[in-house]
Amino acid sequence: MKVLRRIGILFLAVVLVFCLAACNRNRGDGDVTKDTVELKVWGAQEDQEMLKAMVEEFKKENPDTNYSITFGVVGEKDTQTKILEDPDAAADVFSFPDDQMGDLIKAGVLYEITLDKAAIMSENSEGSVAAATVDNKLYAYPMTADNGYFLYYDKSVLTEEDVKTLDGMLAAAQKKNKKVLMDVSNGWYLASFFLGAGGSLGLENGKQTCDFNNEQGVAAGEAVKAFCAHPAFITGEDAILTGGIGSTIAAGVSGTWTADAIQEKLGDNYAATKLPTFTLNGKQVQMKSFAGYKLMGVNSGTKHPKEAMKLARFLTNEKNQLIRFEKRAMGPSNIKAAADEKVKANVALSALAMQNQYGVSQANVLNSSWDPMEAFGTAMEAKDYKKTVKEYLDTMVSQMAA
Amino acid sequence: MMKSYRAARRLTNGMVYAILAVLAVLWVLPILYLIVLSLREEPGAYTPYLLPKAYTLDNYTALFTDTALFNYPRWLSNTLFVAVCTCVISTVTILMISYCFSRLRFPSRRRFMNVGLIMGMFPGFMSMIAVYHLLKLVGLDQSLIALILVYSSASCLGYFIAKGFFDTIPRALDEAATIDGANRNQIFWKITLPLSQPIVAYTALTSFIAPFADFIFVSVIMKDNYQNYTIALGLYQMITRENLYRYFTRFCAGAVLIAIPITILFLCMQKYYVEGVTGGSVKG
Amino acid sequence: MDYIDFTQLHPVRKAIVGVRRGIIGFPKTVGQFFGAIRRGIAGFFRGIGRLIAETVAAFVHGDFRTRLSFLILGLGNAFRGQIVRGLLFFLCEIGYIAYMVLFGSSFLAKIGTLGTETQQKVFDETEGIYIYTRGDNSMQILLFSVLSILLTLLFIGVYLWNIRSAYRSQQLQEQEKPLPTFRQDLHSLLDSRYHVTLLTPPVVLVTLFTILPLIFMVLIAFTNFDKDHQPPGNLFTWIGLDNFSAMFGGNEQLGYTFLNLLLWTFVWALFSTFSNYIFGMILALLINKKGIRFKKFWRTVFIITIAVPQFVSLMLMSQLLADEGAVNVLLRELGWISESVPFLTNGTMAKITVLVINMWVGIPYSMLITTGILLNIPEDMYESARIDGAGPVTAFFKITLPYMLFVTTPYLITQFVNNINNFNVIYLLTRGGPLTLDYYKAGQTDLLVTWLYKQTVEEQNYNLAGVIGVIVFIITATFSLIVYNSSASAKKEEEFQ
Repeated sequence: MKVLRRIGILFLAVVLVFCLAACNRNRGDGDVTKDTVELKVWGAQEDQEMLKAMVEEFKKENPDTNYSITFGVVGEKDTQTKILEDPDAAADVFSFPDDQMGDLIKAGVLYEITLDKAAIMSENSEGSVAAATVDNKLYAYPMTADNGYFLYYDKSVLTEEDVKTLDGMLAAAQKKNKKVLMDVSNGWYLASFFLGAGGSLGLENGKQTCDFNNEQGVAAGEAVKAFCAHPAFITGEDAILTGGIGSTIAAGVSGTWTADAIQEKLGDNYAATKLPTFTLNGKQVQMKSFAGYKLMGVNSGTKHPKEAMKLARFLTNEKNQLIRFEKRAMGPSNIKAAADEKVKANVALSALAMQNQYGVSQANVLNSSWDPMEAFGTAMEAKDYKKTVKEYLDTMVSQMAA
Repeated sequence: MMKSYRAARRLTNGMVYAILAVLAVLWVLPILYLIVLSLREEPGAYTPYLLPKAYTLDNYTALFTDTALFNYPRWLSNTLFVAVCTCVISTVTILMISYCFSRLRFPSRRRFMNVGLIMGMFPGFMSMIAVYHLLKLVGLDQSLIALILVYSSASCLGYFIAKGFFDTIPRALDEAATIDGANRNQIFWKITLPLSQPIVAYTALTSFIAPFADFIFVSVIMKDNYQNYTIALGLYQMITRENLYRYFTRFCAGAVLIAIPITILFLCMQKYYVEGVTGGSVKG
Repeated sequence: MDYIDFTQLHPVRKAIVGVRRGIIGFPKTVGQFFGAIRRGIAGFFRGIGRLIAETVAAFVHGDFRTRLSFLILGLGNAFRGQIVRGLLFFLCEIGYIAYMVLFGSSFLAKIGTLGTETQQKVFDETEGIYIYTRGDNSMQILLFSVLSILLTLLFIGVYLWNIRSAYRSQQLQEQEKPLPTFRQDLHSLLDSRYHVTLLTPPVVLVTLFTILPLIFMVLIAFTNFDKDHQPPGNLFTWIGLDNFSAMFGGNEQLGYTFLNLLLWTFVWALFSTFSNYIFGMILALLINKKGIRFKKFWRTVFIITIAVPQFVSLMLMSQLLADEGAVNVLLRELGWISESVPFLTNGTMAKITVLVINMWVGIPYSMLITTGILLNIPEDMYESARIDGAGPVTAFFKITLPYMLFVTTPYLITQFVNNINNFNVIYLLTRGGPLTLDYYKAGQTDLLVTWLYKQTVEEQNYNLAGVIGVIVFIITATFSLIVYNSSASAKKEEEFQ
């Protein structure tokens, strides 16, 4: 029993020390006066420091109001889940990728933006505004225009000519015993084949509609099948691309967020460009892509709607979009910011801009549509041909509509 | 005759050694590799080669110095706090329940036991939202106390092994004490508990480890309160899609660091653990 | 063989007989189980009947002080000098009324519809913005209604207890016996009613954090709470059995997915429980074999894997076994393969992989647990088996296994059920993947629980998740009640001591 008693005492001591520490920490939050505007902002952990600096600026610009602004850590990817778990505990101002728009509006948590509507719509690029509006109603502030993907490649292996076509690229890579990476089992990337073949996604009464199983779509599906069966093809998430590029991998499809890591690995051989063309029914067709945007929204349950909108407007203005670019390499949606020399000189962003000519808005894609697409991609990668491409696509489309 | 028997035995023993050695390698190798990864200098989760090109201790120091992004020390102390409290509370409650079911006879005892048995089988995920809103009702959301409550209440239902252990302690002892004028409370604390060291240790150990493993309940309860994450959820953040490349080696370092104290704890308590669990699950 | 013969058998023989009897008697046990449920329900209603009869008797025979406690709780006791007890009853009443007036009733009133007011937005010309007014929140209405109902039941219990207590005191006074003082009441809580003291805190915790959510989940299964009916923007409401009929017949793919996942869940639970158990036992036998040295060292080696937190070792494993992970790199460098082995990306392979990894995780545990029990089997049993010409394999199946099965039934049941609900291993290794179009948004290694998790957290199909949860719960609960109550360890509970 002696041992146990000793352990018990030790435990109690730890608890006591911690409690005291916790008590000390909690003191000092109490001095909030009555007319203080309390707001909460959500952002990814990586962005916290930048956000805090921006908010300080905001306070300086509005000295008349007494703001008490707190921060919560929720990455854009998790915004939807976290808001819907409890909208009342969610932030007043939060950022999210545009494919969450549909669900967030449906759940009624996005505040419709009416203040400065015309100005916001004219300041930001057409695509980003389209992503933030539904039926001509503006639901969020465009924040970045970089949530898309393009091709990174190793200049020492592939030439500019090689990367123009998928076939050429695969052949050249195979010759040098290297691989080309694309995460086909990810609906977001996979869709570029179908979109390239002229497929489209739409919304009807809140349900997904999709024509990826029509004749053109099936041909695109066959192209995916052939691509996955090619010996130089490799699949995998970003970590595989960043791990293998420069050694086993010659080229890969990804977005701006991997730019730093890839540049570090490739050094002088670092290059990026639009997606290649692929062979559809014997003809070369340009792969399209989702041109995604990150948006900033205001919670419909906020106690201070005007102040929250003011803050969101400030956080997404030209100056702060440029700060985002400098600090976190996020491509601006603001037209003036995007025209900045520094932005134009960025290799990844200019490749993205090139690809964005073939960009498709993802505002019409429901979050629940990714899984069926992933399942199709998985079957192709696993060379699971027990059903025809047409049958697979029929199931995929019906599951997306469910 | 004798000789060949001995030779045969030596042969089988040799084989047993060989099998054990192979198994031991299989079991330890991944852990060793985890340590190697934690010392790797190059970032990235996947490398086309096996062993690191350069070694460093930076991953370990960064855990404690670079806390702006991942506040490892804070999360570690959160987890320790929750684990210690959960350990104390749930050990006491489990022992209380088990003693009650094993020693006391009262109406509906069987019914209570059966309800306890099936409640323990309820998959917890559906309950998360409900639990979160209940905690919010009393103002405990996003707090460590909420976690302690949830973990303790979940462990309440794991009383089976402890009850089995108490069943093996002779009842005659209780009866003797009753004759000496002890009440049931005194019997519990003064007679039964001192005889139950192994099961106390076993229960304490298992409930101490539980908070180190959960990352789902924590994320529902803590939401955007990064400072109150526990180590499991914190480490999980290091290997999300965006962070995997840059922070994978640091994740490994963090994992090694929490594995060390638990390993030591386990090795020290091994004897009790085995006795507790055998005592509890053996009933002939 | 009668009972006396049985008790005189050697424990191991006894175990073997026990296992055989258990298997033969299984159908009967199932019958008994349902009989017991019927009796339980009947008993419950009889109990209620008795309570009502007692209350009526108290009202008829009670004096005005007893009758007053029908209105104001605790008055009967307080008038007779049991001040503290009376006060406690009174506080319960005040507390309940306060809760209902201030909080509970507003939710409880809407439980029939789960809310009628949707969120509104009106354009405010002067401010230039829309003004949102939150409507009813169906989810909170449902949840807090359940809470209110539970509290009401509790209050009814307290109410009846109060009446009984008042009536008892009256009777005692009439018989001119001393009433128990508060001190005596407290004292009985440490002795004759010690079980009340011991069980109250856990029962409160379990009711709040397990039973209440369980009721909530069951009720959700009868609503249309899904992505399209989420608060705060939308309301959801009762739709009866529609979710169940969609699952079993209405939606073909849903039913197909459910059945397949159910099958895989069972295969998984069965294989992982028994593979861990048997191989753990074999490992323990190997380590404890006579003549093997460094027993402690071997045991320690395997224990290390227990000590590494499970989510770490599982995350690590999923990295190592990925298509480009270390294992594939190693195999390629050794020249054994040219293409990566799809450990986690091919359906069948992934199923095998998760089973194997689960063994890696679980065998050390069962090794530890079986070690102690194995040492209890007397050596002469094996000796005599050897003389009869049985090899080690026969001895294992004839002696070791039956005995172990017999003594560790409770452990095995717990393991089996834990494996049915084994979220961590599957989710951390494969996330249920690889996804397949054959299933409705589920992967080939998805268990019902991981599917349930995805349906709630990722898809917000709470009603579907509710249905899955209810079914999983019914299956596991029935199964474990039958097996546990028919197991020898439960039946012999009394005689063992």
